[in-house]
This record gives sequence, structure tokens and C-alpha cells, in this order.
Amino acid sequence: MKPNVLAKKIGFYALIIIAWQGIDSAEIWPDNIFPSPFEVVEDLAYGISDASLFFGIGTSLLRLIIGLGIAIAGGLVLGIFMARVETVNQTIGSLVLGLQSIPSIAWVPLAILWFGLTDTGIIFVTAIGAIFAVTINTYTGVKNINPSYIEAARNMGAKEGQLIITVLIPAAFPYIISGFKQGWAFAWRGVIGAELLFSFLGLGFLLNVGRQLNDVSQVIAIMIVIMGIGILTEGLVFKKIEDKVMTRWGLR
Amino acid sequence: MGKLEAKNIEKYFKHDGKQLKTLDGINLNVNDGEFVCIVGTSGCGKSTFLRTIAGLETPDSGKILLDGQPLSDTGPDRIMVFQEGALFPWLNVQDNVEYGLKVAGIPKEKRNEISHRYLDMMQLTQFATSYTYQLSTGMKQRVAIARALVMEPDVLLMDEPFAALDPQTRDLLLVEMQLIWQKTKKTIIFVTHNVAEAVVLGTRVLVFSHRPAKIKKEVEIDYQRPRLTDDENLLPYQKKILAELRPEVKK
Repeated sequence: MKPNVLAKKIGFYALIIIAWQGIDSAEIWPDNIFPSPFEVVEDLAYGISDASLFFGIGTSLLRLIIGLGIAIAGGLVLGIFMARVETVNQTIGSLVLGLQSIPSIAWVPLAILWFGLTDTGIIFVTAIGAIFAVTINTYTGVKNINPSYIEAARNMGAKEGQLIITVLIPAAFPYIISGFKQGWAFAWRGVIGAELLFSFLGLGFLLNVGRQLNDVSQVIAIMIVIMGIGILTEGLVFKKIEDKVMTRWGLR
Repeated sequence: MGKLEAKNIEKYFKHDGKQLKTLDGINLNVNDGEFVCIVGTSGCGKSTFLRTIAGLETPDSGKILLDGQPLSDTGPDRIMVFQEGALFPWLNVQDNVEYGLKVAGIPKEKRNEISHRYLDMMQLTQFATSYTYQLSTGMKQRVAIARALVMEPDVLLMDEPFAALDPQTRDLLLVEMQLIWQKTKKTIIFVTHNVAEAVVLGTRVLVFSHRPAKIKKEVEIDYQRPRLTDDENLLPYQKKILAELRPEVKK
């Protein structure tokens, strides 16, 4: 990041914290409704010192990774299948579009009935929230492949299986990566939402505990952690992959 | 019997609900080691004919024979060089060149050995690890040619591979293409709309009529190599071909 961009960002966040502190000092609302930044930091420090925060982050991330992994694998297979076989697209394709419109949180009651208050239930909600975004992007990507790539590969002797691995997936990768990105965003929302309602470990559970204890600063602290993980994942994982893909594929 | 034979190839395309005849009973006999150029106006059907030989299009009637054997599908015995190269941007130059060998299951060491030979022939050795976005159009076409040559096809099919090049790069590649042909003794069928290009490259030039495509005229070109585009002795051939093409443009 360029130094002046970094300076602007630091300045912006400093300004928010100062304004926050200012509002708190004005004592418009009581502390149990509107905590000061210091109290939130204190709560974070406490979570770090007794490791409960790390345990929460770890639990949520593990569920996210498993759920997203399932969504990516399933979405790739489904998307490629839809793009290559017209009948699959006409049948399953329409269902996928319908299912995509269901918010992942709406799967929670079904997940609880099927899997009980278990890890599996939360992973189910995470995966199903993300899979259709991966599917649709993969489908679009494969449909938009320059036909010459496929013809050249077939001409050089690639069979359908080899074609999928060596041409369809890499050629559609600029789309697939945005599918992963959307999938990750849906999965992250899904995992936190499910944890809130399942109330079974993880960051969502910690949010719920904060609410039950009337501890506003804990709620805000956890929300900041959720946001922070989002920013880090976007910036460190997806932005780097995207930059590389866009350059190499000649899209930039 | 020729190396490659096309027998009475007919092809129709649907256009506005009507069957539009594109290839009108084309008969062609290409001998082993011949360099056949096909010229025709844009959209005359010459590329469709080449794609039919490659097996990328199925003829509505007629058949393609290689060494007397009828062909139905696309196969590595007939490798196509596409107009825009169709190189894979996710692979570097060397991996692009080795693609066909890899899907054929040839072990890595052997692949490297073969690809280095052709990278060297196409003067691409120093670009082996470059990606396509780092290459000029001319370089890309060199890679596309190398990628086709490693397959050691019986017939090399080239679909206007130099159409997008600037004149200087094109002239250079026209000379190199002749040297490659002399060195590898490949049978080549080369489609172009550029008459000068066809005359420089071909041992025989076929003039296609405009839709439906038919072989209108054949011109044998028996002249020393490497030929240059500005060689005045080639002008009579060009004029002869242009005289055949001119009425087709107006169609």
C-alpha cells in the first residue's frame, strides 16, 4: 500500500475513534448502552488473556473452512455440469437460481431438525449458503470460455476429463475466483448467523453470550473481530489471487 | 492416393431458418509434404473447410481421408494453428508448447526434451517461462506454431495465423515458415485471404469461390525458396490469382 493511502486510512479510523470517544464523553447514553472505545478494547484484551477469543475465532474459522470447502467442491462440480450438459442446466439450473435466493439463515431451522445442535448443522448452513454462488459463477465462467481454447485442447487430444482439469477450470478461473469470493462472504455470514441461533461455540455464540449478559462492549468487540477477519481475508487472500489472475489472463 | 483427401465435402449452416450451403462438394488431394494454400474472400467458407479437415466441424456429406483412412473426429494427427493462437493464458510458454504431450501422457523429461527442440527452432528459448500477456502478437503465433509442431502431426492446418501481424513481423514469419516446412517436411494446409502470403508459401494455391465455396482455380507455384513477398517474379502468380478472386469479392 502506498504511504499516503495508508496515512489516509489511519487518519480515518483515528477520526472514528475520536468521534466515538467524544460521543461517549458527552454522556448522552448510559455506559451499558453505549460503551467507550476503551471498554471495548478492555473486553478484547480480556478475551485474548483467557484465550476465549482465540477459541471462538478458531471454532468459527474451522467451520467456515470446512463449509466453504464443501461449497467450493460442490459448486465447481455442479457449475461445470450445468455448463456442459444443457439438460442439467435446464433442470437443476433453475432450482439453483431459486435456492440461491434463500438466505443462509433460513436454513437454520431445517439444519437443527436434521442435525440437532451440532457442528454438522452449522457446517451445513455455512456450506449451503455458499454453494450456489460458487455454482453460478463457475457456470458463467465455463460458458464464457473462448471456444478456441476448448477446440485447441480437443484438437491436441484432450479427453473430456482432461479438458475439465486442464482447460475449463483454469480458463474460467477469473469467474470462479469471484465465485469463491462471494461464496466466502456468504459462508462467513452463514457461520456467524448459525452460531448465533445454534448458540453452540464460535464468534456467533460469543455475540449471543454478550447479549445475554447485557454486555454491550463484548458485543461490539466481537463485531469488530468479525469485521477484522473479513477485511483480512479480502485483502490478504482474495485480492492477491485476483490481482495475479487478472494480470496473467490479460484482463488488466 | 494422396496423404490427405477430401471427397465431395458439403456443409450447410442454418441461417435465418434457411439451410445455407457453405461448402459445395469440395474435392482435394494433398500429397505428402505439400504446402497447400487456400485463398478466398472473407467468409467464403475456407476456414469452415479447414475446420472440417481438423474434425472440428462435421460435413453434411462427403468424407476426409488420411492415408486412405476415413476420419470422423478431431485428432492429434491433424493439428490446427488458430488465427488468434488460442494459447492458454494460465500456462507459461513452455507449458503451452508441452500441452498436447502432457495430455498424451508423455513423461516430463521427454516432454522437456521435445519442447526445447521446438522452442529453439522458433527462437523462443529465452521466453520459455513467460506468460502470454508478456508476449507480442508475433511471439504468440510463434508459440502457437511450436505448440502444433511438437505434436508432430501428419498434417499441419493453419487458419490465417498471420492475419493480425504487422507487415514486418509477418514477412519474417513467412520466411521462417518456409524454412520450417523445408526442415520438417510437413504437409501443410494454410488458409489466408492474403494473396501475396499464399504465393510466397504455397507449392500450390487453391482459389475458393465465395459462398458456397468450391475450388475455382488451382495454381502451381514452382519457384525457389525462401521466397520473399517483394519478389517481382512472384507477381504474375499474384495477378493470376487476383483475377480469379476479384469477381468473388463482388458476390
